Amino acid sequence: MSAHPTYMLDRCEVADSHTLKVYRENGGYEALEKVLKTPLSPEDVIAVLKDSGLRGRGGAGFPTGLKWSFMPDVAKDDRPRYLAVNADESEPGTCKDRVLLREDPHGLIEGILIACYAMRAEAAYVYVRGEYRLPYERVAAAIDEARAAGLVGENVMGTDFSCQIWMHKGAGAYICGEETGLMESLEGKRGHPRPKPPFPAGYGLWGNPTTVNNVETIQNVPFIVSRGAEWFRSMGTEKSTGNFLCGISGHVERPGVYELPFGLSARSILEEVAGGVWKGRELKAFFPGGSSTGVLPAGSIDVAMDHDSVKGAGSMFGTGAMIFMDETTCVTRIAEVTLRFYEHESCGQCSQCREGTQWLHQIFRRIERGQGTMDDVDMLSTLASGMAPGKTICALSDAAAIPTHSVVKHFRDELEEHVRLGRCPLAGTSQPVGAGA
Amino acid sequence: MTKITINGREVDADPAQPLIRACHDHGADVPMYCYHPGLSPVGSCRICQVEVQQGDMPPRVVVACRTPVVEGMVVDTEAERAHETRRECLEFLLKNHPLDCPICDKAGECDLQDYAFAEGQGKGRSAEPRRKLEKRKSLGDVIVLDQERCILCSRCTRFMEEVPRTPQLTVSDLGSRSVIETFMDRPLTGNYQGNLADICPVGALTLKEFRFQARVWNLRKTPSTCAECSRGCAITVETLRGGEVKRFRPRPDLEVNQYWMCDTGRFALDRANLPARLPAATLRGQSGLEEADVEDAVDVLADMVGAHRASAVVLVSPFATQEEAAAVQRLAAELGAAPAFVSPPPNDLKDDVLHTGDPCPNRRGLTGLGFEALTAEDALARLADAELAVLAGERVVELVGAEGLAAVRASLRLVVLDAVPVDVPALDVALGVPTHVEKSGTWVNVDGVRRRLSLAVPPPVGVAPLEQTVERMLARLQAAEVRG
Repeated sequence: MSAHPTYMLDRCEVADSHTLKVYRENGGYEALEKVLKTPLSPEDVIAVLKDSGLRGRGGAGFPTGLKWSFMPDVAKDDRPRYLAVNADESEPGTCKDRVLLREDPHGLIEGILIACYAMRAEAAYVYVRGEYRLPYERVAAAIDEARAAGLVGENVMGTDFSCQIWMHKGAGAYICGEETGLMESLEGKRGHPRPKPPFPAGYGLWGNPTTVNNVETIQNVPFIVSRGAEWFRSMGTEKSTGNFLCGISGHVERPGVYELPFGLSARSILEEVAGGVWKGRELKAFFPGGSSTGVLPAGSIDVAMDHDSVKGAGSMFGTGAMIFMDETTCVTRIAEVTLRFYEHESCGQCSQCREGTQWLHQIFRRIERGQGTMDDVDMLSTLASGMAPGKTICALSDAAAIPTHSVVKHFRDELEEHVRLGRCPLAGTSQPVGAGA
Repeated sequence: MTKITINGREVDADPAQPLIRACHDHGADVPMYCYHPGLSPVGSCRICQVEVQQGDMPPRVVVACRTPVVEGMVVDTEAERAHETRRECLEFLLKNHPLDCPICDKAGECDLQDYAFAEGQGKGRSAEPRRKLEKRKSLGDVIVLDQERCILCSRCTRFMEEVPRTPQLTVSDLGSRSVIETFMDRPLTGNYQGNLADICPVGALTLKEFRFQARVWNLRKTPSTCAECSRGCAITVETLRGGEVKRFRPRPDLEVNQYWMCDTGRFALDRANLPARLPAATLRGQSGLEEADVEDAVDVLADMVGAHRASAVVLVSPFATQEEAAAVQRLAAELGAAPAFVSPPPNDLKDDVLHTGDPCPNRRGLTGLGFEALTAEDALARLADAELAVLAGERVVELVGAEGLAAVRASLRLVVLDAVPVDVPALDVALGVPTHVEKSGTWVNVDGVRRRLSLAVPPPVGVAPLEQTVERMLARLQAAEVRG
């Protein structure tokens, strides 16, 4: 399929990849052994991570090594410290972590152990999306296996290092994937995001220093420790190093989760990896990184898929979940479906988000049904401007405002056409992506 | 203290408090809904946006209730960007808020209404139907909830968690479907529910007792002190035209009650709106008690006292102010009696929030003046041995016990100064006194804090302050001595 070197998904192809036996046969826990038996100091591990340039795979793309270094100095702060692994993968279009949880749970556990060692965390919590039943069971079974093998718990591999790993099942709220909402939920409260500051590294789970990392981010850690920062930097671009898991969905011939280096053009991903737009149709638009990132028109298809390039094109890399839409797609309908999602998932704390997501959804729905006015189109922009950026506690409001802005910017004509005709100009042919899915 | 600049003026700010406190303390007008100085800040309503500049960073618009005060920060609450962000936020808040101000009890003291008047656009842009929810959901005996008016500031849920520490309210469901509910729809319990109506920034939580009773702009508000226990919470007495007390509401007093009061105090309106009053003066005549001129009554009194002062009992009500008590103390000295006050036993309302369980609001003050605390039984026992008794102060007869007093031998010379009518065989002279909402004076609370009562309602015609009446008696007695 592609000539690019891969590492993350290699093991996932092996039969019974989720078992400790197969994992060990394929080099599993060697990175942990290297850390504990060499031994590398926690600072050494963080230095390697910083050197590798690994950026968080949860959507924001924040440098992982830097994030770990925000944990307070143990000499000055003796509170217990935690790692929380965000496996509440719920962004529409995003489906990469599911593969890792299901097929390579020991890779996650090894990454967690190294991360906890580096941050001197005594325990890790894996917050798994509630709908991910098989992935949850696979990770739970893997933790049991690892614990029985002396890899999790007291004195890991016979060393002084001890680390517990606990699991938590989400109950279906998208907002619990926001890092502070996740922590509230882990504490047994409603998943209402917390205002920042204070940041999790200073005041996280139960008020103690905490780092929240995405599954894919953690999964990268053992590879970087084993093979070195230089190897990692040899893949991807200068500022977006390594490979990422690209979840491709929508109107393509071969949707799926692919491991790709950063920097490939969206066009080559669409055409060479995903087999092109389905049914021989033309591309109309695509989300580069999940529904929270601005939708881009077909004209932007040559953008390189790395954090900076996608940003330069007026969108965001997000989680690398690309959603392609063919020429029959009604973008108004896409916006309606997207905003319906955000209205449904807004936690309701902040006025702008609670009311704004509902309002935007209502307007898109009216326009799609032919009941819109020309004023509505401008109002979409002004309302979205009132919701973001940075006007609310968390970024869910932004996540609703960004696609709204992009739809108005790139598909204003189509919105106005709906208003003028009093109906959807594509009625009958429209194929909503992800509607009701 | 931290030095910051607010609207061009350098001020001292308390670093332990969020920026919004410094703004309010120094006269800057920053709106707030979710923030309440007595509750933990959550920063969710997003209305308190102000522009802040720190160090070399460009100015940012931030929510003042979640922004810590930092030395040297420059705050502009009137920056155009801050106003703009607040206006945007207001528009979202008004999107689903019903336009029922004309029938809303909160109108006139509604934070949302006030700010919409100050900054709103006049005309809503929303063409969408407003949220349809429960308009009158009973939350128990005290509070009724209008879910449509609710702006989900969560002050109420935080209040229940943080002040009486009885979490009974919660936000349920998500996003635009969020509503305030009690757990399992159970009625609210506890003695602090009334505060919910005060802290609700809109008309979502209102008092059943006050429902459709008055428009708040017609209420005259007088700062005073609650009479229901020895905490002496700072309150406002709110009266409608004609002098009817419609509400007691807490007033912030960080030394005493912070921002709250209990429902026992809040709903003690019957004690302020008495159905029948003791006239200025009544004397026992041929056909029982007859209304008389105060001067005549005082004359009779002086004659009576002259003959019986040898074994006199002087008793005040625990509601007596320091000023009233001082006058009564002088009278007691003149009569050679040891001053005492009726001290009812503690009630079972004591809690660890505000209520002390001691129904005597001025116990500490009276004790400090040297008044002896007497139970009703002890008081009656003393009356049994006395020839003359002066009982002075609001509710003194009730607290000694009207039945016990009726059983006292008729030959006792009994003088009563109370607010409500009394008729017992021993009674010779009765003089009307003002209630606690009809007088000014001082009480000393359980912790020794002195607080003022203010006259909120004029006493009935002719009824003078108790200390004046007592001084008159004293003057008449002393004049009689000189003559004698």
